Amino acid sequence: MEPIIRIENIHKYFGEVHALRGVSLDIQPGEVVIVIGPSGSGKSTLLRCINRLEEYDQGEITVDGIPLDTAANINAVRTEVGMVFQQFNLFSHMTVLANINLAQRLIRKRTREECTRISMELLERVGIPEKAQSYPIQLSGGQQQRVAIARALAMNPKIMLFDEPTSALDPEMIKEVLDVMLDLAKEGMTMVVVSHEMGFARAAAHRVILMAEGEIVEQGSPDQVFEHPRHERTKLFLSHIL
Amino acid sequence: MDSKSRLAGNAPEKILSKIPGARPEDRIDAWWGLFFAVVGLVLVLVLFWPDPYRRILNFVADGILITVVVTVVSFVLVVVVGLLGGLARTARNRYLRSFISLYVEIIRGIPLLVQLIFWYYALPPAIQGLGNLLSIVALQNFAPDPVIMAIVGLTIGYGAYMTEVVRAGIQSVPKGQVEAARSLGLTYRMAMQHVVLPQAFRTILPAIGNEFITLLKDSSLVSVVAVADLTRRGREFMSMTFIPFQTWILVALLYLILTLFSARVVSWLEKKAQVGR
Repeated sequence: MEPIIRIENIHKYFGEVHALRGVSLDIQPGEVVIVIGPSGSGKSTLLRCINRLEEYDQGEITVDGIPLDTAANINAVRTEVGMVFQQFNLFSHMTVLANINLAQRLIRKRTREECTRISMELLERVGIPEKAQSYPIQLSGGQQQRVAIARALAMNPKIMLFDEPTSALDPEMIKEVLDVMLDLAKEGMTMVVVSHEMGFARAAAHRVILMAEGEIVEQGSPDQVFEHPRHERTKLFLSHIL
Repeated sequence: MDSKSRLAGNAPEKILSKIPGARPEDRIDAWWGLFFAVVGLVLVLVLFWPDPYRRILNFVADGILITVVVTVVSFVLVVVVGLLGGLARTARNRYLRSFISLYVEIIRGIPLLVQLIFWYYALPPAIQGLGNLLSIVALQNFAPDPVIMAIVGLTIGYGAYMTEVVRAGIQSVPKGQVEAARSLGLTYRMAMQHVVLPQAFRTILPAIGNEFITLLKDSSLVSVVAVADLTRRGREFMSMTFIPFQTWILVALLYLILTLFSARVVSWLEKKAQVGR
């Protein structure tokens, strides 16, 4: 099968810091990939390169057959790739409903009625239809993150990127977000998730990737990586988080 | 939460009603009260001491209109200049950024009065001279209307300040907001229009309101460049009648009415803009 995401030899520098050192990675349609690794290992940077929120200095990325080169291609890719952020990043001046409607209206050119119908279905799906008219500040972190997921899903993305989606949440709110993500994984969504949630990784991931110092150190099924790590770097990292 | 309970926190209405000024609606009344007190004072002066106050008012009335028109028209243009300048100041293009920075730095370093005098007294002869040199009749006969040159001067001068206000507003919007918008496929323009500028506007609304009130007061400087505004009309009345005290008391009160009213409108707008905060 053609990979839906093809990352070839990506290098990224932040000034003097060599943040990604030649990362290559193919992701198949429907695959759920969890990226773990110590902070500063480049895992978020890699994720942000996939929709070109981060520019890279060398290498190529192709998403769903579209190379990330021209501005038009980058925008085309972004409409097919949903992204969920650690800090939710809901538009604070808009209601929940308006947040989910915005890109549907501007990019997908749906009518207002259609946008609202789709948004309400998605809010139903993430379990908070009653919050449609609330503003982000009035929601808990877990609720905000679920709205952020609904907002991304409203574009009918083929791929969802999650950048530490539960790291800014109180412990009791993590489950409600992971449940939504688990449902998505079961439905066959292609997902790339930067997260240290081992339970989620075991339940949903097809592949776990460990990054360190800007490189992929080890990858394999959750069972392989968590139970039988081959590299010392992996063992060291797992000993810190388990 | 509605706006009332947000402003007042969770304190019960019963307690709030016992503290003067604690309820938002009380606060609104208090400041409108000052506005109406000044209006009342002017009315009393004009009704009970028609000589000289009604004479002064009649004389300067057209000046009030000029002051309001010059201020409002300039302000609208200032907002346009500030918006474009602010966007240019935060643009990716380095030359555009540098050009706007140059404009801001130069204009901010020259007194507004000097700028106004330059536009009205220095620029037209220069253009006429250029017209003579090149034998272009349109330039030779260049004799601009003082009100238009005053508006040009105020716009260029205040546009520089407004550019800085808008720039600060744009930069106050967290980066994640733009990233979220762009990751949904919105173009830079769409992200600016629908996400960044509305949030920036909410942040800088007090500053914009402040600029308006300052502009209203600084519009008195145009009296020096042949514009018959409130200040100039006051001066004309004084030199005709030699009753400076009453004249300037009334002129000051009239300015105060305008600024207090503007401040109330700004404050009302700010409350309306606080939604989602």
